[in-house]
Amino acid sequence: MDMKTCRTPALKIVLVAWMAVVTTCASAAPAADSLDLARYRGKVVLVDFWASWCTPCRHSFPWLNDMQAKYAKQGLVVIGVNVDREHADAERFLHEVPARFPIVYDPAGTLATTYDVPGMPTSFVFGPDGKLLGTHIGFKQSSRDEREAELQKLLLTVSRSN
Amino acid sequence: MKDKPNLNAAIAAATCALLGTSAAAGAATEKERWSFDSSLLYYGESDSRVQDISAAILAQRDFDDERKLSLNLTADTLTGASASGATELNRPQTFTSPSGKAIYNTPAGAVPLDDTFKDTRFALSGSWTQPLARLYTFSGGLGFSTEYDYTHLGANTSLARDFNKRNTTLSIGVAYSQDDIKPVGGAPIPFAQMQDVGNLTNKRGDDSKDVLDLLFGVTQVLGRNTVLRVNYSYSDSSGYLNDPYKLLSVVDPVTGDTVARVAAGGQGPNGVYRYESRPDSRTKQGIYAELKHAFGAPVMQLSYRFMTDDWGIDSNTLEAKLRWPLGADNFIEPQLRYYTQSEADFYRSSLVAGQALPEYASADFRLGNFDAVTVGMKFGHRTEAGNEWSTRLEYYQQSGDVPRDQVIGNQANREQYPDLSAVIVQFGYRFGL
Amino acid sequence: MKAILSIATFLVVSGCSSLGVQPWERDVLARPEMSLDANALDAAIDDHIYFSKEASSGGRGFGGGGCGCN
Repeated sequence: MDMKTCRTPALKIVLVAWMAVVTTCASAAPAADSLDLARYRGKVVLVDFWASWCTPCRHSFPWLNDMQAKYAKQGLVVIGVNVDREHADAERFLHEVPARFPIVYDPAGTLATTYDVPGMPTSFVFGPDGKLLGTHIGFKQSSRDEREAELQKLLLTVSRSN
Repeated sequence: MKDKPNLNAAIAAATCALLGTSAAAGAATEKERWSFDSSLLYYGESDSRVQDISAAILAQRDFDDERKLSLNLTADTLTGASASGATELNRPQTFTSPSGKAIYNTPAGAVPLDDTFKDTRFALSGSWTQPLARLYTFSGGLGFSTEYDYTHLGANTSLARDFNKRNTTLSIGVAYSQDDIKPVGGAPIPFAQMQDVGNLTNKRGDDSKDVLDLLFGVTQVLGRNTVLRVNYSYSDSSGYLNDPYKLLSVVDPVTGDTVARVAAGGQGPNGVYRYESRPDSRTKQGIYAELKHAFGAPVMQLSYRFMTDDWGIDSNTLEAKLRWPLGADNFIEPQLRYYTQSEADFYRSSLVAGQALPEYASADFRLGNFDAVTVGMKFGHRTEAGNEWSTRLEYYQQSGDVPRDQVIGNQANREQYPDLSAVIVQFGYRFGL
Repeated sequence: MKAILSIATFLVVSGCSSLGVQPWERDVLARPEMSLDANALDAAIDDHIYFSKEASSGGRGFGGGGCGCN
């Protein structure tokens, strides 16, 4: 894990201890810190980092739901990664703004740190070969059409490789 | 699916759950929302001085993609009396009112107050905020206010840029305003003597002033629970900066008593008073720092401002508030403010008969040397619908003094600086539509 | 003025970004009461009261802080 930020020694100790606790709890997974995209080879994967306190995330969910529904058959997989510290906060958000795609919980920020999430929300788009093809920081209503067109283009490569 | 960092298992479970579902319907359009903050406020000074009732409403509407419109409408009505700057005396004093049409009296042993002060003011301001690019935010606004003797028109704009993953924000802003002053009876000629009723030779027509403000700010996130803001401000005013209703008593150099005068038919001042005179420009600079820190649920706000200008006034303001939640729906917020300022270079408690007039002079208590303390408490309650009622009660006390070398003769036994104390009661309601 | 400029430059230029939090750690800062504009109406009212009773005014203004979203 990359500890880019410089913190006080006390905080560093606490952080290391917490990481140790977290990784021991996630016993089974050999690479607990990474999203195993191998199972999605051949598909276009959109990984969206979101939180209950992030207002643009509230606006992005309807669009993500829409994208997942429209393009699932063509090979799009949308995965939401929640970074709320309190699970109850995420549950409250999902009750108000339902997600029609799987949610992964990252309360310790392990995944967020691994992916070095640059802003909230952030969407990472991975191609059928597993390569990172795009990063979108933030969600703007005005960029929906552009992003959908981008996805459509990528999904064409899925059908070709099939 | 609980908070497990075991992602493979989690994703697998979720994907399985999803396979059986049919395509979900498209998104419902997001409802744009208006949010309002309204306030009804009473301000009342002791000793029949100024009383003010004001109503204000702040309306905000969020549009797509971080664009925001904000409108503020305020109306207030002012009654009561304000200290005119004349000194207290051991005999009754008579003054001509600002309109020049009537007289008013001050009893012996009382601080002279100009009680012809009744005014209603309306103010409207609006601003628009939007991002220019991902890390740039632009804001522009207009402001307008009017009362019977004063009109204000202003425009402002600012630009902010985020750095360090939005942990740091640099801002720059500029504001310009033009104010028109139409004092009742006309703006007095600086240092002109107060005349009998009906005599307006000491008055001129209307006047104006303009103000340019610059603001540079840095906002820095210090930690998960802490944010700091530091601003540098620069302000330049020029034009008519006098208070048209404030005066100075001309006093005897030995006794310190106001020089007597006989009014024609008793309809005029019974002493010699001169209208104040201030420079026609003022440059102010200030540094303001504000810290917000969350101790779990309670949030503390601490701020400090230092201001200095070329009139010789230095001020320090220290403010502290602690928002303390009581359960999920209520909070109390005690507040404390401490303010201190030094007097303007040209502040004079009175003018001395026989001495040459200084270049500028004012006895306005607001330019004097004083300390002020505000203690207050706010209480808020959030309703089931998500709206918020609040009430605020504050007590403001200002006490000052006059430089030792300006106290002459009998003035030492009288109130030299008109201390002020006021109560503020406010009711607020926040709601959305 | 010089102090402000040097602080600003330091904060911007410091590659270490020793001060601050990660974008996903802004939950507390996103709370409405932690916004620097939290009580804009109260602040405007107070400014107006003190402006009419004291010689100093202004100094606040502007954004930053908050959830840091978008």
